[in-house]
Amino acid sequence: MTLFLLTGIMILTYAMLVCHRIPALIQNFRLQSLFLFLVTLDFAVRQKEAGVFVVAGLLLLVKVILVPSFLNHLVKKIKVDERLGLFLNPLLSLIAALFLTWGAAVFCAWLVSDSPVVVFAAFVVSITVVMVGFFIMVFRMKAITQIVGLLVMENGIFLLASSIAGGMPFFVEIAIAFDVFICAIITGIFMYRINKVFTHIEVHRLTDLKG
Amino acid sequence: MLFSIVIIPVLAAVFSVLLPARLRGTANLAAHGVLLVLAGLLAYRISGGSGIVAFGGVLRADALSAFFIFLISLVNLAALVYSRPYLQEDIDGGVLSVRQARGYDILFNVFAATMLLVPLLDNLGHMWVAVELTTLASAFLVGFYNTKASVEAAWKYVIICSVGITLALLGTVLVYYAVAAQTDTKTLDWSVIMGRAAGLNPRIMSVAFLFILVGYGTKAGLAPMHTWLPDAHSQALTPVSALLSGVLLKTSLYAIIRFAMITNKTMGPEFTSRLFIFFGLFSVAVAGIFLLAQKDFKRLLAYSSIEHVGIIVFALGVGTPLAVFGSMFHALNHAVTKSLVFFAAGNAVKKYKTHHLHMIHGLVQALPFTAAAALVGLLSLVGMPPFGIFMSKLMILSACFQKGLYGPAALLLLFLAVVFGALIYHVSASIFGHKPKGVEFGAEALGMKVVFVCLALLLLLLGVMMPTPLQTLLISASRLITGGGV
Repeated sequence: MTLFLLTGIMILTYAMLVCHRIPALIQNFRLQSLFLFLVTLDFAVRQKEAGVFVVAGLLLLVKVILVPSFLNHLVKKIKVDERLGLFLNPLLSLIAALFLTWGAAVFCAWLVSDSPVVVFAAFVVSITVVMVGFFIMVFRMKAITQIVGLLVMENGIFLLASSIAGGMPFFVEIAIAFDVFICAIITGIFMYRINKVFTHIEVHRLTDLKG
Repeated sequence: MLFSIVIIPVLAAVFSVLLPARLRGTANLAAHGVLLVLAGLLAYRISGGSGIVAFGGVLRADALSAFFIFLISLVNLAALVYSRPYLQEDIDGGVLSVRQARGYDILFNVFAATMLLVPLLDNLGHMWVAVELTTLASAFLVGFYNTKASVEAAWKYVIICSVGITLALLGTVLVYYAVAAQTDTKTLDWSVIMGRAAGLNPRIMSVAFLFILVGYGTKAGLAPMHTWLPDAHSQALTPVSALLSGVLLKTSLYAIIRFAMITNKTMGPEFTSRLFIFFGLFSVAVAGIFLLAQKDFKRLLAYSSIEHVGIIVFALGVGTPLAVFGSMFHALNHAVTKSLVFFAAGNAVKKYKTHHLHMIHGLVQALPFTAAAALVGLLSLVGMPPFGIFMSKLMILSACFQKGLYGPAALLLLFLAVVFGALIYHVSASIFGHKPKGVEFGAEALGMKVVFVCLALLLLLLGVMMPTPLQTLLISASRLITGGGV
């Protein structure tokens, strides 16, 4: 079951790199979060711990429903061009992602050499998701892609926490979920402001401050 | 006591929402005054003794946290007193509205609360959340003027620091995994992990510490992850620049130190020591290069912050009791000095209506009091006696020689010489010389003068003699870090 869900997350992560438009990227993020929710739910059912169910519910609320809807709303409101602006085309991005996955596998084989296959797979997928999140932040032009990239990175770490270490302590999870939510809102507000003062949200054109 | 330290700024934020302007100023002043007294009491009570816990173990303070709490409250109070007249001028000049000034008071207190929370939390996960909250709370203070430059700075600040912090979370999860795998206890409580650190998997801990160092190091302003720092420091409101530089960077350093303590216990001090020395020297070198070519007054000070964070981290890397003592002492000296210089720079920038160093001349004729403060701060900043930074640099360098680290010490001295030249060259030209025609002679508000005098006297005091309570506190804090005797 876990392996199946991990595969799903992997496919969705790659799919993010071939997105051309902002709504598609956000939708992809929503799906990835949904799979993350399923991983946590699966874990909650097996552990039969009330706390993990709450964490899973919170994940569903924040990352699957609230944050993507907020981002969609914001994108509609600022009425920017929906294209993402790719510095690297989808094919090259995919090839880069494959190399990142390979690197993650080598790294994890070194790091956790004597662990079961599921733990190893979870490690590899999580590290790949974190790196792809970072990749999206760097190789896409719009401010919104930096927000989504950041959220993807956080998804990767959350996956690592829940699949290899059995979830972090309850109050830590709650605090982190709250924090992710605030972070999304605040970066969203700043994106709105950027659009207002610069009349675009292309981050590579923010070059007033140098040296 | 620990609880009240966190709750006072929160209450002050609530009062800032409710009260009218005049009462708000008094209430804030009272709140932060009480906070400083409480921090002093806490430091006095803990130093030499063991730590105390509160709130069912969620809050915990030992000498190290007490020192950082004291540092934060001190700079907070200075920034608050300075920001009264500073904001009033902006309101009178029509740059800010009265409503925005209220917003400033609220954000200032929220920012203070999040910073004070960091050293008080025992759980490393909670600490991570608190560090991220400091970024989010201060982001609006960086983008406060809502100009193109300030919005750009705020965006870079939030995004770069959040990425850094996310890597730190990865490090935290790895530590959690190492603890869970080795000891079958699921915990992120620092005090518990510290007790079991000896048996953790060294390979995982080394990777975890790398993520922690790069992650929190981004927020602490270590090169090459420092790129957000000059933008944010130069665009923020001046009192906030002082807070960012004086204490925000240090709360991240605090997080790094806590993890370094665990890592050292697992795999001996050599691993963290090498990394600290490398990043420390690299930061001082990068700062030196950028300082040489700097044209913006506040950016100049921002790069100087990178230099000083580099020195503090370098000293942690040297790792002998004297070096760590010097490192903590340097953190205090830098916080006080940098606040003083930033406040002076803020006045100068306002008077000349430009950040450009080549257009700020003859400050001594235009704002004599500010010029004196800038001069004292500058001399202290570059490490001239009889000010505090001279003493702490001396301690760090002699510890370095004692340990036989001649190469790193020589490099540090070389880079420090570059910084010395650059700072003196740039700032002295602004302080002296002839003031431009359009700039009139002016006087500072009383509140500003009080802050300048207090900070300058404190600098002098720290340079000539060390008060015994401070010495006890610093000794017990560095004893905690080195994990043994002094």
